[in-house]
Amino acid sequence: MKKKLLATLLTAAMTATLLAGCGGSGSAAEAPAAAPAEAPAAAEEAAPAEEAAPAEEAAPAEEAAPAEEATANAGDNDKLTGTQFEGTTAKEAYNFAVDVKSFQSTYWQAALKGMDMAAEELGITYDAHGPNSESDIADQVNMLNADITSKPAGIGLAACDTTSVLDSLQDAKDAGIPVVCFDTGVADAPAGSVVATVATDNTQAGEVAAENMHEALKDVIAKADKQVRIGEINQDATALNIQQRGLGFINKMIGLLKADGKKVAVVGNEFYVNAAEGADGDEASADVVIEVAVPAQTTVELCTTEASTILSKEDTIGVFGSNQTAAEGLLAANSNLNLLGSDAAAGEVIGVGFDAGSVIKGAIKDGTMYGAVTQSPLMMGYYALYALTKAANGEQVSDLPTNGYWYNKDNIDDPEIAPNLYD
Amino acid sequence: MGEVILQMKDIDKSFPGVHALDHVSLEVRRGEVHALMGENGAGKSTLMKVLTGIYKKDSGTITYKGKDTEFHNTREAQDNGVVIVHQELNMVGDLTVAQNIFIGREPRKGFRIDDKKMIEDSKVLFDRLHIDIDPTEKMSELTVGKQQMCEIAKAISHNAELIIFDEPSAALTEKEIEDLFVIIRDLRAQDLGIIYISHRMDEIKVITDRVTVMRDGGYVGTLVTADCTKEDIINMMVGRVIYEKPKEKSHVPDDAPVVLKVEHLNAGKMVQDVSFELRKGEILGFSGLMGAGRTETARAIFGADAKQSGDIYVNGEKVEINSPEDAVKRGIGYLSEDRRRFGIVVGKSIIENSTMATLEDYMSGLFINKKKEKEITEQYIKELDTKTPSSDQLVVNLSGGNQQKVVIAKWLVRNSDILIFDEPTRGIDVGAKNEIYKLMNKLASEGKSIIMISSEMTEILRMSDRIVVMCEGKKTGEVKIEEATQELIMDKATRQMEA
Amino acid sequence: MQKKKSLGILADQKFIVMIIVVVLYVVFSLISKDFRKYSTMVMMLDSTYYILLLAIGVTFPLITGGVDLSIGTGMICYGLTGGFLVVQKGFPTWVGLIVAVLFGLLIGILNGVLVAVMDLPPFLATLCTCMMTRGLGSICANSFAIPWPGAKAEGGWFHNIFKLTVGAGRQAMNYPVGVIVLAVIVILMSFVLNHTRVGRYTIAIGSNKEATRLSGVNVKAYHITAYALSGLFAGLASLAYAAAIPTIQPGTGAGIELDAIGGAIVGGVSPTGGAGSIIGTMLGVFVIQLLKTGLPYIGLEANWQQIVTGLVLIGAVLIDVIKQRRAAFE
Repeated sequence: MKKKLLATLLTAAMTATLLAGCGGSGSAAEAPAAAPAEAPAAAEEAAPAEEAAPAEEAAPAEEAAPAEEATANAGDNDKLTGTQFEGTTAKEAYNFAVDVKSFQSTYWQAALKGMDMAAEELGITYDAHGPNSESDIADQVNMLNADITSKPAGIGLAACDTTSVLDSLQDAKDAGIPVVCFDTGVADAPAGSVVATVATDNTQAGEVAAENMHEALKDVIAKADKQVRIGEINQDATALNIQQRGLGFINKMIGLLKADGKKVAVVGNEFYVNAAEGADGDEASADVVIEVAVPAQTTVELCTTEASTILSKEDTIGVFGSNQTAAEGLLAANSNLNLLGSDAAAGEVIGVGFDAGSVIKGAIKDGTMYGAVTQSPLMMGYYALYALTKAANGEQVSDLPTNGYWYNKDNIDDPEIAPNLYD
Repeated sequence: MGEVILQMKDIDKSFPGVHALDHVSLEVRRGEVHALMGENGAGKSTLMKVLTGIYKKDSGTITYKGKDTEFHNTREAQDNGVVIVHQELNMVGDLTVAQNIFIGREPRKGFRIDDKKMIEDSKVLFDRLHIDIDPTEKMSELTVGKQQMCEIAKAISHNAELIIFDEPSAALTEKEIEDLFVIIRDLRAQDLGIIYISHRMDEIKVITDRVTVMRDGGYVGTLVTADCTKEDIINMMVGRVIYEKPKEKSHVPDDAPVVLKVEHLNAGKMVQDVSFELRKGEILGFSGLMGAGRTETARAIFGADAKQSGDIYVNGEKVEINSPEDAVKRGIGYLSEDRRRFGIVVGKSIIENSTMATLEDYMSGLFINKKKEKEITEQYIKELDTKTPSSDQLVVNLSGGNQQKVVIAKWLVRNSDILIFDEPTRGIDVGAKNEIYKLMNKLASEGKSIIMISSEMTEILRMSDRIVVMCEGKKTGEVKIEEATQELIMDKATRQMEA
Repeated sequence: MQKKKSLGILADQKFIVMIIVVVLYVVFSLISKDFRKYSTMVMMLDSTYYILLLAIGVTFPLITGGVDLSIGTGMICYGLTGGFLVVQKGFPTWVGLIVAVLFGLLIGILNGVLVAVMDLPPFLATLCTCMMTRGLGSICANSFAIPWPGAKAEGGWFHNIFKLTVGAGRQAMNYPVGVIVLAVIVILMSFVLNHTRVGRYTIAIGSNKEATRLSGVNVKAYHITAYALSGLFAGLASLAYAAAIPTIQPGTGAGIELDAIGGAIVGGVSPTGGAGSIIGTMLGVFVIQLLKTGLPYIGLEANWQQIVTGLVLIGAVLIDVIKQRRAAFE
């Protein structure tokens, strides 16, 4: 498992370096409207990455870079090496429909960037749709249905709500349109409707957060003479990826703490309390309490209030915000409380975030946030279009889990990390 | 007149700070029309509210059909045959006549409303009243007079034995009032008891058998109508003699300058080619029946409604008036017939209402100078003798006459020279009416020019220096006061001008 | 008479709402020791600023008997546009701030024209601009989430309007200077409502628009002004929002207007127009904010928070209804 992770990381490192380089020019050429805004940002990202490259194992990457540029259109490059997409080309100039959860966060902008790259390499096109916010479930279902009626060669879907899209998926299957889910898998999808899922292994990503937070806190917990509290802010209790991430964190943390010989209780939102495994359940006698908060709506304001509530409790030693909104809520709450920091021994609360965005990146750089887990939206978008192409070709496609990576002050500019950290 | 149907004795009712009814008595017999009279605020409405259960009496007895009775709400009163025909019509315009009459107690056939039965029952009611209304017509398409008839039909449909008419004639034309009286006489002949509340002295003499007069919450007396004169009743009501004869001669010199000239004014169906002149210091009466287009003419001049064509000259100068704002700038003020809707802001104070048209003159920089505002308001409260505890009083708490004075004050504060009074004394009691008349005369003598629209012939004859008569949107005549008679005006008001 | 007078004070909506504010604060403080912390108060104030600014603005259309539903999405739209210029286009912060406020004013005037000149029902007109601003915000910001410069970052000086942070790290002290700014604005707008023609005619339009028009008042202009004020304050609120929330997300904002309108109504603005006060609106917003912040602190789950908030609002509005009914009986 560890080896596999390392291998993937390495691949990602190399590919990401390349991506940064061609990503900037690619999107600039393809989307003139967005170009002035995006180009400088992409260039910024690219610059440190490429500079950093020669210092490390990037030697092959450097060599690959010019080669890749030449062969990019042939659809034969390192990003695909070792994956099921090696050698995949589009049989026709397909047009795909893509439904993202929203255009709301830069997360989805990064995913679209990945798609743009894949589209150029493959010589295909796609149309992206998305509701105004991730809670507009009905809007997205309508968009999805509209896409099905327009009979694209395939549909890429990041479902806002995994149950609401089931009927539509059946329709897509009946219409013979292959669907590739990305970012969020649809567990109960009608058999044969979803040909592949390209998604972060959210359970793994949550575990990564737990492992790193535990590392920072274990001495404090060991020395604690009374009960301590670890908070988790989840944007909601309905989206599968948030559920998996949240539970990945909780269950891993429970496992690690029990290995330390501590009693653990989970309190707060009922869904997470009931789904957590291995907790002792008795809040009064527990050594560590994991408190899970879920706001009524998925807005930063309400996440902020929930975060403040947990953060201001005196026994709180660490808080995990399980997506960008939750993590930013945590930071907004801290702007008043000033409790977060990197030195747990000095009584600072360890804050761990998820995803990126300039606010979280800034907080990690200045030490306010201990670290965060990033997904690779760029790669998810990229692979999703490859999976769609392969399915449209009539070939067999299988699921492709992508990992969540830990980043902190020390490795935030590393070439294997930086390209995923959208602003 | 038959047996006594209602006997109210020593009814007493107090509200915090007000002794609203002070041992009032009232006796109504079957087969009589009993007038209940008194100035606004005399306690007539309160007494009726006690009778129908809206208010609870403090003491006294009510005997209805020989039994001690106390209704707890209007529904209970209705069920026992005591109904009120209100001054304001309580009708739903978008429903049909039949639907309105049976609203809340629709005959049913299973789960379905039995429209057929409803319409037939309505017809029976109308037959009984000898009126001709199609029950399937929409309420909003009927004239005010016909709506009133429907209200009466609705009242009777409750098997009414005692009907209270609360100023039924206020919104009716002379012809409609006559029709109403036919119905009332009919009801009287059917042995019902009828209480008739009105301000109009002429009507009282015509329709009622006895009259009970109230003053300031107290009982003054009961007279047989046939045995007393108008003056007797008025004296009982106001406790003082007031009587002003019709104007005999115009007060306006022939060479008085023309301040307002309207030429060939057209605005929809109700204003067709209207031309007239108004002179300085003149009170120009506008007479005509309901729907003659007088109010519409006034509103078109004032810019409240759009006009199609026509020229308006103020002091000889041609002016463009496209909005009330323009009119006010030219010194024209308009006192609407419907004070509560168009004249005053009822929920606001006298001060706020008084300076509504002139606020820009009461500013200190960006801010309203409340001291100056209060001063001018209080000056006019004094000048117009407005009865109010203070200038901060909300207008809603004033009587009709005093509300009208606030509207007048608004235009006087604005220093408007041309005032359009649309039904200036509607809903105002006799004493206050007289004050408004005096005020108008005073304003005219001070050089203001007044257009007075009125449906009351006596008012037209008493106040006007000259009379414009309208009928169906057209001007049908212009009469000097010296030549004016009721018959002449009526003649012009009821027929189109030849050619 | 004496009795009636004392009842008069008790029946004053502002007084009742003030008592509710105090009771809520005391109850929450007694239950949660974290709630009574200074830092909690500062956090609560952060989100109160923009709701209060929205509420002050929307008080004017509400008093005219209308409503402005576009302020929530509008606030986000203006904040995104201004922030886009600053963050993505490199304009100085003050340009972004001014653009946000002017954009708000513009949409406010549009609302006013739709309502006063085109005679659209306010609910409909502002619902349309609500949708429009929601889309416009995303377009203007190129669908980017916009993080305005942070408090300590270059160009982040505008945070100091609302919250002054002295020191760094754990020793940092936050001073909610926004309280002073908002107090000045509340006093100023109270004055505008009670002592200027704009205020007088706003109330008059809500009480009896036709009578006001027939008094020669340029009703259309003042009607537009009421909506323009609402838009202007939505623009100002976007600044407070940018100072309180790290990243402005396109597509959000719907629902925030309900907090502001709810606050105004609780504070005694008549739902049918013609009456209201800025002080009352402020107190009403406090009630809403106390509930929003306090309920999580006393351990109430998110969905229950909304139910309790709804119930308290019903209660507050009922007081007014009962009061009016009693007044009608007297």
